[in-house]
Amino acid sequence: MGKDVMIKLNHVQKKYPDFSMDCSLTVYPGMITGLIGANGEGKSTTFKLILGLIGKEAGEMEVLGKKRECSNDGKQPEKEILQQTGVVLAETGFGSYFTIHDIIPFLEDLYPEFEKDKFLQYCEEYKLPMNKKIKEFSTGMKRKLQIFAAITHKAKLLLLDEPTSGLDVVAREQMLTLLREYMETEGRAILISSHLSGDLETFCDDIYLIQKGTITFHEEMDRLLDAYGLLKVSDEVYKKMDKSHIICRKKENFGWSCLTDQKAYYQMHNPEIVIEKGSVDELILLMAGGERI
Amino acid sequence: MYLIINHSSMQPIYEQIVEQIKEKIINGEFSEEMMLPSVRTMAKDLKISALTVKKAYDALTEEGFVVTVHGKGSFVACANQNMLLEEKKKEVEAELEAAIHKGRSCGLTDHDLTELFEIVLEG
Repeated sequence: MGKDVMIKLNHVQKKYPDFSMDCSLTVYPGMITGLIGANGEGKSTTFKLILGLIGKEAGEMEVLGKKRECSNDGKQPEKEILQQTGVVLAETGFGSYFTIHDIIPFLEDLYPEFEKDKFLQYCEEYKLPMNKKIKEFSTGMKRKLQIFAAITHKAKLLLLDEPTSGLDVVAREQMLTLLREYMETEGRAILISSHLSGDLETFCDDIYLIQKGTITFHEEMDRLLDAYGLLKVSDEVYKKMDKSHIICRKKENFGWSCLTDQKAYYQMHNPEIVIEKGSVDELILLMAGGERI
Repeated sequence: MYLIINHSSMQPIYEQIVEQIKEKIINGEFSEEMMLPSVRTMAKDLKISALTVKKAYDALTEEGFVVTVHGKGSFVACANQNMLLEEKKKEVEAELEAAIHKGRSCGLTDHDLTELFEIVLEG
């Protein structure tokens, strides 16, 4: 996991009348980076900024080794970024009156390295109807189509905004497996957002939490699962215990829920406390609903 | 390569990997110079983060169980008998420690414990 970066945002800002964004994050080659956050906190805006679908107003942005300006709205995203990335956004982006057969020439035209055979093989394997209009596809079929198109042109970078939404648990696992296979080629990277924590816990290497347009938390997934924990304590115990390793707390009817990044410390010093493993869900719930200390 | 990861266990995942690979090296299932899967492949197979796998490989390398050749991959190192013995010794020590701890916590004296130890040894 080298020093090069795939994406670097340094205080990239964007203002809307009711929402403003100031986002900093880095995606390294060989890494799967997750972006989590509740609805409306700025996940999709981040993807659109990276792709150049909307322009930034301030800050520095580097994508695939080049500084990106794209400061005016409505500008077409740079072709180079489009060709070297695989993208899944909320909208399919495929004309809904087309069939899969119809869109193949577009994919061949857009992506110089489009792997048509592989694409068709995936479509067949996962039973996508070749001659049906895309607008008649189920949500799950549309998602799968987007994912197949994203991973079959030797893209270096995948930008996946909620790629698993609308998929059932079996299909979700199948798609994540395809994405894991994609990552086996060296030098590739994925930036993925999801609000399904299960996707992220077993999939990501690095995780960012976005709240109100700003990154409020960043940690390696591995550390989140191993070192973080949720303490459940009564008021009485809470008053007495050492709070130096507590990140945030939330009032509960039994006392307090506390998030720690040093689970082992409390296991050793307060063996009587109930400690649960760290998880993405608890992290979001406590960071969003609790107070930081 | 068959490793089984328990996501509900309190034991960190990388430790689970380290332990299982060590065991396979010690019991001879993994032979010397055998190549381990790449970090990404292992991450895919076990459905865990690549960083976790990397951490496990680093720990195994540091303890001398695995050699990592840059650009080529990770290989099972010379399974030195002394090293394996040392590893087993550490395990026995930990188990004895746990037994002593248990004994003391219910009020046995060191003398009682030594006596018990000798009875077990003779048996």
